Amino acid sequence: MGMQGDFFQLLKEQVYQFGAAVVGDGQEFTTATTILAFKYRDGVLVAGDRRATAGNMVMYDRTDKVLEIDRHSVMAIAGVPATAYEMVRILEHSFKYYRRTQLQELSFEGKLRAVSKLLKDNVAAALAGTGAVAPIFAGYDFEQETAKIYFYDILGAEFEGVEYAVSGSGSPTIRGILHYLNTWGDQPLSAMSEEQSAIQALRLLTSAAEFDSATGGVNREANLYPVIKFITAGGVRTMSDAQLKPLFDDKVVRHV
Amino acid sequence: MYEEPYKWVEAVGNRRQYLDEQFKQGSPVVALAFDAGILLMTVSKGTPKLYEIYDRLALGGMGHPADLEKLRFSLLEMAHVEGFNRSPSDVTRSRMVKYGIAPVIKQAFEEVFKAPFIVKILLAELGQKAGKDSFLTINYDGTFDESTHGAVLAASKTIEQEMMNYIRQHSSGVSLEQAAGTALRAWALGELAQCRASEDATEGDRDAAAHPIATDHASLYAHLRDTVREKTIECALLDRNQQGSSKYRSLTSEELGRLVPNDTKPSLS
Repeated sequence: MGMQGDFFQLLKEQVYQFGAAVVGDGQEFTTATTILAFKYRDGVLVAGDRRATAGNMVMYDRTDKVLEIDRHSVMAIAGVPATAYEMVRILEHSFKYYRRTQLQELSFEGKLRAVSKLLKDNVAAALAGTGAVAPIFAGYDFEQETAKIYFYDILGAEFEGVEYAVSGSGSPTIRGILHYLNTWGDQPLSAMSEEQSAIQALRLLTSAAEFDSATGGVNREANLYPVIKFITAGGVRTMSDAQLKPLFDDKVVRHV
Repeated sequence: MYEEPYKWVEAVGNRRQYLDEQFKQGSPVVALAFDAGILLMTVSKGTPKLYEIYDRLALGGMGHPADLEKLRFSLLEMAHVEGFNRSPSDVTRSRMVKYGIAPVIKQAFEEVFKAPFIVKILLAELGQKAGKDSFLTINYDGTFDESTHGAVLAASKTIEQEMMNYIRQHSSGVSLEQAAGTALRAWALGELAQCRASEDATEGDRDAAAHPIATDHASLYAHLRDTVREKTIECALLDRNQQGSSKYRSLTSEELGRLVPNDTKPSLS
């Protein structure tokens, strides 16, 4: 299968199993998190909070849910972390393997199909209640010369977020805000500069944390900020905590 | 007929002769460490000879393109399955070669009823820190050599030795610009030595030392100019400063244009 550059198929030939149904109670799945992506002036911004929970327990406050798959694509994860991280690892290797065997980048559409295929292979685990993942995938499409956003349901259905996409338990809160901002704000999201878009992302995630206990907020004492990444033709870039701190202090915090 | 040990040794000897003949017209490959990574360079007729294998592993090859492709795919499969099942840190040039393709190449070489791999391979591995880079070359018979500052592939061991001596004299703690110059001149030296060896063989002259190669910059660049006119200079880096986990990148024409002499620029890939 090497000639096709299909790493997932290569793994299957090595008797690797992904998405096997594990006996669960089939309860409604939870995606205790908030991830978001929207188009800004130069490309796409993808952001996520850092909290990982198990029921009402906070397990970890420094989770990275916005993961670089390759130099031009990012997957933000909501759902069962074990499955989500495994998917990211498979995708990362799949895209690299394709590039290295075929001596060309996998097309953006090919990348989208790869995400979709993995989610479909994972349906049994998702429906068993042990492996549901509802990710956002964003990347730069060199054929269309633009950065794009896609979001998925747990069965692998793929939807384009023309202007923005959200996922996770905190998403209902910010979905309305994004619609309001984009429609009646001073300027549409797509006209915002990198700094303006980062400020909005910080405000949105802070709002989500206000109403959703499973979404982690900013903890300035612990120097804990959300993860914000930008995707442009030049690749994926992460905004450092040193850059986020002054933006948060000046533009997000309200002293009353 | 090969059941007799002598016949088998004779057959392997013939095979060695046959294979040596195949590499006489091949294009040498040069890899050397510089202050920010590893530079790989060769001159090709269009078919690439330099490849990315894994995050910190690059391959340079000499020989038959189909054989090179077959072994390249084996390396790619091994590296990616290993990197996925264990960790990218466990994908090392040493494991890929010693427990991967070297035994396969050796077996093909010694099975005299089957075709051998007409290929020589160079694997460069970028270390986590400068000074930790490493290289490994595999001969068509499966034997391999490890080194730390650089490595080359050429038609014969003697020519490879000449090229390595040149690299050792010019490659201590160098910048990318200096490394590119050294690599180009080392390639020219190897190519010149191969031409000389072919001429000597034609004329029946076995005393190669009687015709030493001029290793001054002007002579080597002059040969390079004459040779690369209808070919392509191919150059790739394992760049420690490259963002992300994959450190391999091909040099763009613009980058290469800044590194090579003006009169060789038409040959940039």
